[in-house]
Amino acid sequence: MSKQASNEPAIVMEHVSKNFKVLNRREGLSGSIKDLFSRDYKTLQAVSDVSLTVGRGEIIGYLGPNGAGKSTTIKMITGVLEPSEGKIMVNGVVPYQNRTRNSEQIGVVFGQRSQLWWSLPLIESFNLLRDIYLVEEKEYKDMLELYRSLVDLEPILHKPVRQMSLGQRTLSDILAAFLHNPAIVFLDEPTIGLDVAMKSKIRDLILGLNAQKKTTVILTTHDMGDVDALCKRVVIIDKGKKIYDNDMDHLKTFFGSYRTLRMRLDGEDEWTERVIDENKTDVMKEIEKTQKEHKIKDIQVQEISTEEIIKKIYEG
Amino acid sequence: MNEKNNLTNQMPIHKRGLKFYASIYKKIIIQDIKSKMSYRADFIISTVGMVMTNLAGFLTFMILFHNFPTINGWDYHHMLFLYGFSLVALTPVQCFFDNNWNLRFQVQSGDFIKYCFRPINVFFYFISEVFDVKGLGQLAFGLGTLGYAWHKIGLPVTALNIGKTIVFLITASLFMIAIMNFAAATCFWIIGSGYVMVIMFRFKDFARYPASIFSGIFKIIFTFIIPIAFVAYYPSLVLLTPDKVPVLSWLSPLFGVLFFYLSYRFWMLGVRKYDFTGS
Repeated sequence: MSKQASNEPAIVMEHVSKNFKVLNRREGLSGSIKDLFSRDYKTLQAVSDVSLTVGRGEIIGYLGPNGAGKSTTIKMITGVLEPSEGKIMVNGVVPYQNRTRNSEQIGVVFGQRSQLWWSLPLIESFNLLRDIYLVEEKEYKDMLELYRSLVDLEPILHKPVRQMSLGQRTLSDILAAFLHNPAIVFLDEPTIGLDVAMKSKIRDLILGLNAQKKTTVILTTHDMGDVDALCKRVVIIDKGKKIYDNDMDHLKTFFGSYRTLRMRLDGEDEWTERVIDENKTDVMKEIEKTQKEHKIKDIQVQEISTEEIIKKIYEG
Repeated sequence: MNEKNNLTNQMPIHKRGLKFYASIYKKIIIQDIKSKMSYRADFIISTVGMVMTNLAGFLTFMILFHNFPTINGWDYHHMLFLYGFSLVALTPVQCFFDNNWNLRFQVQSGDFIKYCFRPINVFFYFISEVFDVKGLGQLAFGLGTLGYAWHKIGLPVTALNIGKTIVFLITASLFMIAIMNFAAATCFWIIGSGYVMVIMFRFKDFARYPASIFSGIFKIIFTFIIPIAFVAYYPSLVLLTPDKVPVLSWLSPLFGVLFFYLSYRFWMLGVRKYDFTGS
């Protein structure tokens, strides 16, 4: 609905932590009965001392293994959860204190769960969302125009959501999340389960909407293809702590400049692979060295994939 | 959009009042009915099913009365009145609050989180999602029975009586809605909440008998703990025995509103509890 002046960040988190109290469960039936009256809690820190500033119009990848604290962070930014410590400002609003107001300026998409009315045609869902978010008629029409310019809207507009394919449903969910022109949109696994063509369509749509509406996008995903295609900046958290926050390009050199050198030697069918850290060894020297002993038929030099880097980071 | 950017932090504060919710609800229901109508076979079968269920209930009632001409001083037509009254009073819970039956599935699968991100009341958003047309058959059946019994008893058709009927029917339905809200919301704490709901829903069958037939402990339970006696008996006494209406009957609208409010708070407490754990 309204976005802040572009020099102000969309999201500011300062030393945010979230603790959960969990009951220490006992074993067996008698244990379960004791648990009913138990006051024996332990504290779990789901997010610990995370500071993060996200600028207006940025698309950031918010990554981490399962249980790292990603969804807890998102829940705090969306105002569902109150942080135990620290401060959060979302587009000038403290989310937990103004949950309704905060909901007006955010949009949320879950790849696996549609938020649209199951039995209604998409256009009716859009109309309802227009009413719920109190979107001005002109802005609404403009938005639908923009949608038409980005995707082929007609085939899905009058189709009930339950009759849609997964791809159409995801597309619809993303459009629905942007409908009230929120300042920030959260995308959780937006391309999960989709084929390659649909994945790229969805990514193009997100890029298009981000470019047109300067919407800040927070993307959580396990699909590195999404990250490569959409994000300039990546934040990685593990065990509740922020362990990386920088450019995608920097990520590739974060753990040394790795390249994979693949060579096929004369008389052999198989490729010989060698991972080389360019800070230590030169790829050319490695080739020269091999050439002295063998005849090389074919050479490939590959960049290490984001997926492998992330894996390296998780394995820490 | 650029001019908007200058209005730093000047986002208009939207007030969403009763009018807003009423208009949203109306739109959802109209859309929902439209889409249900398009599944004609499903619509017909469920309507027939509802009529059969009601007929079966009615037959049980007839057989019972064939053997006992009066129950605790209540004759056939008074019982019929109570029966019709309970059917009408149970319609709103069936029509408008049916999504409570899906609550536990959504909570267990984690899908419930989606209701927490919209700038509208979570309870409203969840409940408004389903409108069950089947309840309309029950409403017609109940109204017919009620009208017939009314005529046979010889209740005068005055504005006062009709006003009373409306107020106390609403009261009665509030009790049933509240009971089901409580039952459904238990799923935020326990896994076996399905049983709680089924048991509570079964209890509604007791609503069609005068609470005076229950003795001692059951009467207390059905009045104060699981207030099934308020889903027909107490409210209908206002019409059936205008000379000696118990205090509880007069107080029932107040209790109904209060009980409904408590059930809403309990439901919302569950949502908060869910927020803290569900992921």
